[in-house]
Amino acid sequence: MGKNAPSAAGPTRRTVLVTALTAAAGVATARLLGLRDLGRVASALNVAATDPMTDAMGGDEMDMGTTTMDPTDPMEMSSPEPMPEAPPAAAPRAAPAVAPTRAPITRQELVTGIMPPDLATGLDWVAPLDRESAKVGHLLRRTTIGVSAAELDRAMTEGYQKTVARLVDTPVAEPPALPSAENATNAAYVKLGDLQTWWVDWMVKSPTPFAEALTLFWHGHFTSDYRKVGLGSPFMYWQNLTWRRMSLGKLGDMLFQATTDPAMLRYLDLLTSTGKSPNENFAREFLELFTMGVGNYIEDDVKAAAKALAGWRQPQTQAMVDARLAALAKQNKPLPSNPPKADPVKTGVFDPTRAYTGTLTMLGRTGPFDTKGVIQRVLEQDATATFITRKLLTYFATPAPSPSWVARLSGSYRRSGYDTRALVRDMLLSPEFTAPETYRALVKSPTEYMVSAAKAVGSQTLTRTILANANGLGQTLFDPPSVGGWGDNEYWISSNTMLQRANYITTALGQTKTLPPTTGADQRLLEGVLGPRTAAELAATKDERKRWYVLLASPEFNLK
Amino acid sequence: MAFETGINKISRREFMKNGLVFAAGAAGLAAGYAAVPDVFARAVYSAKKDGVMNDKVLVMIQLAGGADGLQTVMPLQDPRIRALRPRLSAAVDQALPLANTTLGLNRNLRGIKGLYDQGKVAIVNGVGYPKPSLSHFDSIRVWETADPTRKQMDGWLGKTIAKNYDSQGHPLVGCACGTSETPGALRDLQATLSVVNGENSFKFNGQDADRVMGAVYNGTPGIYGALFDTSVFTARDTVARLRTAHERYVPKAKYNDNVGLVYSSKNQLGAALQLAAELVISGVGAKILHVTLGGWDTHDQQLNRHDQLMAYVDQAVTAFHEDIAAYGMADRVLVATWSEFGRRPQESASAGTDHGTASSMFIVGDGVRGGVYGQMPSLAALDRGGNLQHTVDFRSVYQEILASHLLVDPREVLDQTFERLPFVKSA
Repeated sequence: MGKNAPSAAGPTRRTVLVTALTAAAGVATARLLGLRDLGRVASALNVAATDPMTDAMGGDEMDMGTTTMDPTDPMEMSSPEPMPEAPPAAAPRAAPAVAPTRAPITRQELVTGIMPPDLATGLDWVAPLDRESAKVGHLLRRTTIGVSAAELDRAMTEGYQKTVARLVDTPVAEPPALPSAENATNAAYVKLGDLQTWWVDWMVKSPTPFAEALTLFWHGHFTSDYRKVGLGSPFMYWQNLTWRRMSLGKLGDMLFQATTDPAMLRYLDLLTSTGKSPNENFAREFLELFTMGVGNYIEDDVKAAAKALAGWRQPQTQAMVDARLAALAKQNKPLPSNPPKADPVKTGVFDPTRAYTGTLTMLGRTGPFDTKGVIQRVLEQDATATFITRKLLTYFATPAPSPSWVARLSGSYRRSGYDTRALVRDMLLSPEFTAPETYRALVKSPTEYMVSAAKAVGSQTLTRTILANANGLGQTLFDPPSVGGWGDNEYWISSNTMLQRANYITTALGQTKTLPPTTGADQRLLEGVLGPRTAAELAATKDERKRWYVLLASPEFNLK
Repeated sequence: MAFETGINKISRREFMKNGLVFAAGAAGLAAGYAAVPDVFARAVYSAKKDGVMNDKVLVMIQLAGGADGLQTVMPLQDPRIRALRPRLSAAVDQALPLANTTLGLNRNLRGIKGLYDQGKVAIVNGVGYPKPSLSHFDSIRVWETADPTRKQMDGWLGKTIAKNYDSQGHPLVGCACGTSETPGALRDLQATLSVVNGENSFKFNGQDADRVMGAVYNGTPGIYGALFDTSVFTARDTVARLRTAHERYVPKAKYNDNVGLVYSSKNQLGAALQLAAELVISGVGAKILHVTLGGWDTHDQQLNRHDQLMAYVDQAVTAFHEDIAAYGMADRVLVATWSEFGRRPQESASAGTDHGTASSMFIVGDGVRGGVYGQMPSLAALDRGGNLQHTVDFRSVYQEILASHLLVDPREVLDQTFERLPFVKSA
């Protein structure tokens, strides 16, 4: 097979599909058969959009029973394998490409009688993104943590361009205040469950859900966890409010906030760092995870940045001060001669006596550096624009953004003075964002999956169920697994998480008294692009609740 | 050579056959389509007709966050540790001395010290790699892929499974216990892996749910299709096997997670090791198991926190060994600890330590040739970052585990040969 000779026109989804079909003819055949045999579901499907052969041939009008080849594509021309002919409906399935073999490892081995699946290796979903309505659905799945009926209707009426403008330019709606968090002290902790409930409720209800999606993104990027930060202060709550307010802010402002954010000061130990005895934790992650990426700086830069960033202390709220004084009084201890005072700010407080004095060399420049100076120097590096742009594209668009797309957008980002709103608008309006290969190229995170299922069935009362299942699915809000935040896509898929995802759907449906009809749901939620097995199971299922289970537990709904 | 024992070579034909399936993904990659589809378009598992047949089991314990080596295995007679660590060196005074050495174990490693005195623990000092990375993620990746050049994608344990065992239809050959994610060391798209967070919650709820999932997750298209399908298949198969495992297993040791540590609710080490013991003892085909304990990133107030974590590890590992031994299987099972790096010898102003380099590994089991291996790095010869210089390449440890314990060819996983550390008794 001429796999080393891609067509001069560059990568096309078509080429990949044709090659894949050659290698996995049996599965392709099954898929066509499945779609043909759909019965009543088939009538609801857009056959042109769900037919892999049609799409593989560039969407040309053609008879389903024949195939043609693109004579300009060397891959196809040089292929020694016969192209598969779509067989008549009754034809037997071709054997799987890998014959399943089983051999015991030990004599105690059991046989459970569960048959392994056939793998559709190399076959991709057929992208319907040439249709405006499909583009709108794709856009909302990527930007609004699931799609409610009202959001979908509105966006369908407005169309893609107007919806992008609305998503990007509408002022952010803030969640209602949470007094137990604002007033938290060591004597009166805010409960983690209250904090999570407050946020998940707002993910489901917010009129500006893109802000929630972005807050979730930044929560995983400039991350902190409640375990280290603690819940005896409003700091985790403030951080969440901050990333929502700054979700499309200037990167320089965001970096200054990330550095002096009270939760962050605790999380990465910057508050213990002094010019004389710097703690490298924050400085290292700042360069590695927040701005430039590993390999773009040296150890000496970390050490210099650690010195330059030292000198911050955490702020005290009036409630925290009162609680401290009350605690001293309770122990009959004398009040300090210089009693603690509440700070008027919700960010770190700079104490020059703890800072570094003198010159440093960081990222190739020598001079006096303070926090703003470090941020300025970091923003002068191409690596920073590239790193943030790639991360955003990887999170919202495709696991493998092309280098040219990253370069184009990161160039504009830097020229705009790191205006994140402009970058996000650029991303959503790029042709690459709705290119066929982005279709279902991302796996929903557990939070996205659970909230999107709640929105799909129109329920605003599943927050408790969502939180009860969060750990099993692998994502607990305010508790990232590490300073790198959460992984993505394949990171979310394991035998354990797939089982827990399915079980969440069982529970969520069980708790939803009135379900909307499933009629048309596959079109509205999934553009009618169903794999053959999902379509067949749906066709064979009469009960509405069970049909919802098939739809929401399906691989299609797990993707975005 | 010891390597050859018990190995059945996988035929080249087997790979060629699978190679045809890879072609679609490879073509996509060559066309610049995307890097990920190649990984996921590969056959997820390549069934092995002639897998390695023996009854050896490996349990890897990851101490995530960078566990400090110098508060774990301490040089008792080097005054420099007191100069470098005015506060943290309090641990030295309470250390448990190892006979005929100048080293002492953390005061809370009493159970492990007892096993050491019985010749069942190998302690390997100075373990690291050249040009060490001080980044958690980067260094974890190096350890997980056994590749300091960072070219390998697959985890060394996953690769071991893929190259040696018939994992199709045997989902517990490789299993991560007590987590919902696949650890990087186990990741290999050609190996079927189980991830079991907790045994009790591992079943499909809802009438007909198991069947529907099996019916729908079959031939799923897209770059994640194969991963989805095998994950669901593995889950269904695992549900059935866990039922059997549970019926066959009665714990013969006391596991305890009630330790009040910051991270203990996230990583239930005792429960995870008990599940590992159950999978081993019940004979459901477990070969390579992985558990993780986080919380080791002790940038401040390290003294008590590290000691508490030591006690937690000690208790869990000791219980595991006791349980396995009660079933007469302790000679089959090897437990090894690893962490992405040790910590800085110099303590920080906040009585903690920054990220460092070389550290010690523990290997526990009745098949171990007990003792101390590897040279303790000198506190007098720190690198220019103030860190220890490694004396043992971590792949030497992997090599001995693969060659002498699991009895597979280590070169298939490690690509090269390293200095031999004979801490496994020869058969």
